[in-house]
Amino acid sequence: MSKKTIEVVVNGRTHRAEVPARRMLSDFLRDDLFLTGTKRGCETGVCGCCSVLIDGEVIKSCLSLAVHADGHEVTTIEGLAVDGVLHPVQEAFVNHGGLQCGYCTPGFIMTTVAMLNDNPNPTEDEIRHGLNGNLCRCTGYVGIVESIKAAAEKLRGN
Amino acid sequence: MNKPEISNAFTTVGRETPQINAIEKVLGKAVYSADMKMAGMLHAKVLRSPHAHARIVGVHTEEARALPGVHAVLTGDDTPTRMTGIHHKQHRILAAGKVRFIGEEVVAVVAEDEETARDAIDLIRVDYEPLPEVFDTGEALRAGTIEVHDGSGNLACEYNVVRGDVDAAFAQAALVHEDSYETHSQYAGYMEPMATLAWRTSDGRLHILTSTQTAFLQRMRIADAVEMPVSKVRVIQATVGGGFGGKTAEECNSLICAWLATRVDRPVKFVNSRLDDFQGCRSSPPEKIWIKMGVDKDGIIIAKEVKIVADCGAYEGLAGHVLQVSTVRSDNMHRYLKNVRLNGKLAYTNNPPHGALRGFGGPQAAFALNSHIAVMAEKLGLDVVEMLKRNAIKSGDTSVHGFQIGSSGLSECLDQVSDGIGWDSKKTRPKDIGVKRRGIGFGTAIHVSGNREMGNWDGSTVIAKMAPDGRVTLMTGECDMGQGAFTMLAQCCAHELNIPLSQVTVLPTDTDMSPYGHGSIASRVTILAGNAAIKAAREVRERLLTLASEKLGVPKEDLDMANGEVFAKSPAPNQKIPFGDLARLHIYRAGGEALQVTATYDPPTFLAMATPEQYGNVAPGYSFAAQAAEVEVDTETGQVRVLETFVSDDCGKALNPLAVHGQTCGAAVMGIGWALYEQMRYEDGRLLNGNFADYTMPTADSVPYIQSGIVESMEPNGPYGAKGASETAIVPGAAAIANAVYDAIGVRIKTLPITPEKILAGLRAKQAAQDASGASR
Amino acid sequence: MKDFDYLEPASIAEASEMMLAHPGGSVMAGGTALMLALRQRMVTPSHVISLRRIRDLRGITHTPAEGLRIGALALHAEVARSPLVRQHAPMLADMASRLANPQVRNQGTIGGNLCYGDPATDPPSCLLALNADVVLRSARGTRVLKVDQFATDYFATALEPGEIVSEIRIPPSAFDAGYHARFLRTAAEHRPLVNFAVSLRKQGDACEDVRMVIGASTRVPTRLRKAEDWMKGKTVTARLAAEVADLGASEIEPISDIRGDGSFRRDMARTACRRTIEDLFNPAGSAATSAA
Repeated sequence: MSKKTIEVVVNGRTHRAEVPARRMLSDFLRDDLFLTGTKRGCETGVCGCCSVLIDGEVIKSCLSLAVHADGHEVTTIEGLAVDGVLHPVQEAFVNHGGLQCGYCTPGFIMTTVAMLNDNPNPTEDEIRHGLNGNLCRCTGYVGIVESIKAAAEKLRGN
Repeated sequence: MNKPEISNAFTTVGRETPQINAIEKVLGKAVYSADMKMAGMLHAKVLRSPHAHARIVGVHTEEARALPGVHAVLTGDDTPTRMTGIHHKQHRILAAGKVRFIGEEVVAVVAEDEETARDAIDLIRVDYEPLPEVFDTGEALRAGTIEVHDGSGNLACEYNVVRGDVDAAFAQAALVHEDSYETHSQYAGYMEPMATLAWRTSDGRLHILTSTQTAFLQRMRIADAVEMPVSKVRVIQATVGGGFGGKTAEECNSLICAWLATRVDRPVKFVNSRLDDFQGCRSSPPEKIWIKMGVDKDGIIIAKEVKIVADCGAYEGLAGHVLQVSTVRSDNMHRYLKNVRLNGKLAYTNNPPHGALRGFGGPQAAFALNSHIAVMAEKLGLDVVEMLKRNAIKSGDTSVHGFQIGSSGLSECLDQVSDGIGWDSKKTRPKDIGVKRRGIGFGTAIHVSGNREMGNWDGSTVIAKMAPDGRVTLMTGECDMGQGAFTMLAQCCAHELNIPLSQVTVLPTDTDMSPYGHGSIASRVTILAGNAAIKAAREVRERLLTLASEKLGVPKEDLDMANGEVFAKSPAPNQKIPFGDLARLHIYRAGGEALQVTATYDPPTFLAMATPEQYGNVAPGYSFAAQAAEVEVDTETGQVRVLETFVSDDCGKALNPLAVHGQTCGAAVMGIGWALYEQMRYEDGRLLNGNFADYTMPTADSVPYIQSGIVESMEPNGPYGAKGASETAIVPGAAAIANAVYDAIGVRIKTLPITPEKILAGLRAKQAAQDASGASR
Repeated sequence: MKDFDYLEPASIAEASEMMLAHPGGSVMAGGTALMLALRQRMVTPSHVISLRRIRDLRGITHTPAEGLRIGALALHAEVARSPLVRQHAPMLADMASRLANPQVRNQGTIGGNLCYGDPATDPPSCLLALNADVVLRSARGTRVLKVDQFATDYFATALEPGEIVSEIRIPPSAFDAGYHARFLRTAAEHRPLVNFAVSLRKQGDACEDVRMVIGASTRVPTRLRKAEDWMKGKTVTARLAAEVADLGASEIEPISDIRGDGSFRRDMARTACRRTIEDLFNPAGSAATSAA
């Protein structure tokens, strides 16, 4: 089995690990670092449950090999809250019906964090277009859109 | 149980309340089945049949067994000979002898890791002898056709229901109209693929942590299939990433994983890939529906005849129940309908098996019925909303099939939707004549809240325990798969004890510890478990007051409780005592015990499904919904865009409006998906699009902002007047959209889904008909 | 996915050598497409040769004489927000900003897209309409191909063993307007059913020069040469747009699959073509804002 040693900063902590070349980034996060908030929902790169940030940009960790994260900074859902205080996007998803079963939620939240970094005041159309890479079966997207509007407002206020 | 007066300092009843487990979910800390790990855990994968109907001639597993890291390679011959299934026990845990659909599980591998298991799967060779196949229900039911199950004639089940004098009623009708409709199969599409972790302990017991809506039904089914006493099997509900009917007792992931754990000495985890999930799931049964309806001159529906042929697929599962619902339920929306003749047939085919899905047969029937009513309203020159209202069943009515309607807000739903979408002005505005044309349409729905269909019990039990710190823990046999059931139970309990919601914990179902429950099906949990939770909390309240009365020397009538304390209403100083003190006192006294009560609510309903007449009050409450959709049809591309939609759900009392709106919006979007975007594409029984790139569920930018309204009809049997709210809103949407398409372009789509190709073909046919009639003049 | 050896060459020459040494290997750029194939075991390479450490494959530059040079590893998101691309090939930036979804735009590369040869994507038709050059390098030297020479068939390219795409060049253009229209079968689809790309030079209401391409519904992006000839030098009216679209639709050989049969695809290609031309010449009331 072909293995590689990688050094990657995940949620602010540096990890050195020897990983099989075929290890997906999503599996590395889940199985090696026990960060199971990043989910697997499909094999076709469509559902977005595995979305994480690499150097601040949102990607699908199931479309990336762990070795590709070598030398980069990864942020997962577990890295958003600071000292137990929810990130405004997390808080908004709680309060505005942004989640039900919760399985797609980490992916939507990571996508939202990146979206609002690029565009702090998105229109509803921009929000919906920006969610093209994430699927939710529970909410009908209304609660998610409301959550993102609320989070954007709060983040702009800060 | 009805207690509409809600004045309680700490209550959340009727208020927008985030789910009690929302924070762990946004933190990524909620534990789903696939997130669990155990020391020594192995991983399973299955090899599925590439044939729709074939004899298994030989299975060659030597190479796979020899692969390093492989612990077991098991075939159908290794499984217990006992058959498994819901009513008809029709297959083994892995296929033995024969396969009957493409995707049927044939061989299972257990290995050190998932990739090794997958490597081993690639090394297995199975020899098949193909058998003749049947995919069409009409062909399947023809005499002399190849049989999917020997001696069945491919007829899985049949319903015949006749009430009143249908022929006489048709003879009296001012208008009679008949037509045929077809619906297609929908995949549950929960974001969490099925996943299970199973292990045995040294006492010989089998433990199964899984993603399920019905933990106790799984236990019963698994124990039976693996030939173990029920008491030796334990099913634990993990956090469930959506169910939508797909995670009930039909799914096979947990069954296979459980059995594998009996065959190896280490824990086994089996996580479906999305393709596994598409191939192994039970999607909704496609139905061919013929309706003949008679109405009087005022549009009152007086006679109805329906014939349905549904595709069961290879194994029956719950498809028979689904068909029963399609056949019977929608009649109960119409208060003057007394004459019906219904026939439903379920046909075995070599398609993948169909079964339970949100709405459970309701969406199929509602598509046909609401399309049909729109046609008849137009023929009568009647506004369809007016016609629907004239026929709408009312509180206090008993319907044609014996449903006792304790509460119906159907008329109010129609009014709310009509106002919300601006029906009158949109209906009367000049028709668009350009390339893009707008239209508007309506649909209505009835759904049950609970359904007496198993044994003669449709009850629910809740155990409430008060810890020595005064906090309450609830245990239930029902499941939360994201819909917010646990939050609802906590709300009921907190309301009764007048404590903050944070003081209540609801434990996930564990069949070793939780009270028995059928599970989260048939929109039953709010009305049944909600009532049980109230009953349990009231008993706790009573015990606290009794004990406090003794301790404080104050008569019970003079005591009340708030924020975790019992206090005397008269303003004497220090006359109060915390719940924790009372809970300790409940134990630490001669003859004491921990404060724990068990309460059961079994509704006053009738097991109609077990009788050939199918007559009687099956549910303690019935939910209703209406939906209007405004669409824009692009006449050059055939694309249909839903511009606006308004859905009103009569859920009795909205215990948690945030959750009700969430259910309504989610269900409405699932309905839009079924009507416009989703289609399981089969070619000779082979699913061609078993992935999310090709099976296209609605995305955020493919649907409008769903406008969701609540009608509170206050159900007398409901907890604080509540009924179920999780399925109703998937029922009316497809018809609303089809009716809107007709309004826009004059083309009636009678076969779902409404695709661009069908729109364009319809427009061409319409043009050809116009040209022909023009030419003949 | 099957086990493989993972290689990270530091230069194009080294990559080329590795590819020749491991003929059963696969080259990985952004990985968005290859990862899917690997996970589903549709491809089972002995080696995965990742190009991510090769600096020469990155960057976006522009010179007045040679035009734009876009490194093959440029992410779609980088193409979308590059000031140089937005200035010199706005329709390319616009296309890249709408392609797929945010995550894939942050992971997929323009070169990787071309090399995979998947017809159901947006960049190839857009690049062909921009008359782009695909630069291929190997130990043996450099070749420069047009997009329609590079894309040879369904999932097939002109790449020879040991060759990699190093950059895309977009020559200075005599065109002053253009648009890439992405047509989805339904709003819930993830991939284009058909796309239509056009570059043109306007003189008032007339079209002086034009390049038009249909993609996604054809095995390879297809130039609409008859339609171009018919349109050149004419005043663009609704009728001309319809004639051009009819001609264009007749020039393609549409594929048929579960996402759309050939005749439906041809109809949609015709509609996309006509609507885009109408929008470009009569922006009032148009849905598509034509960047130029």
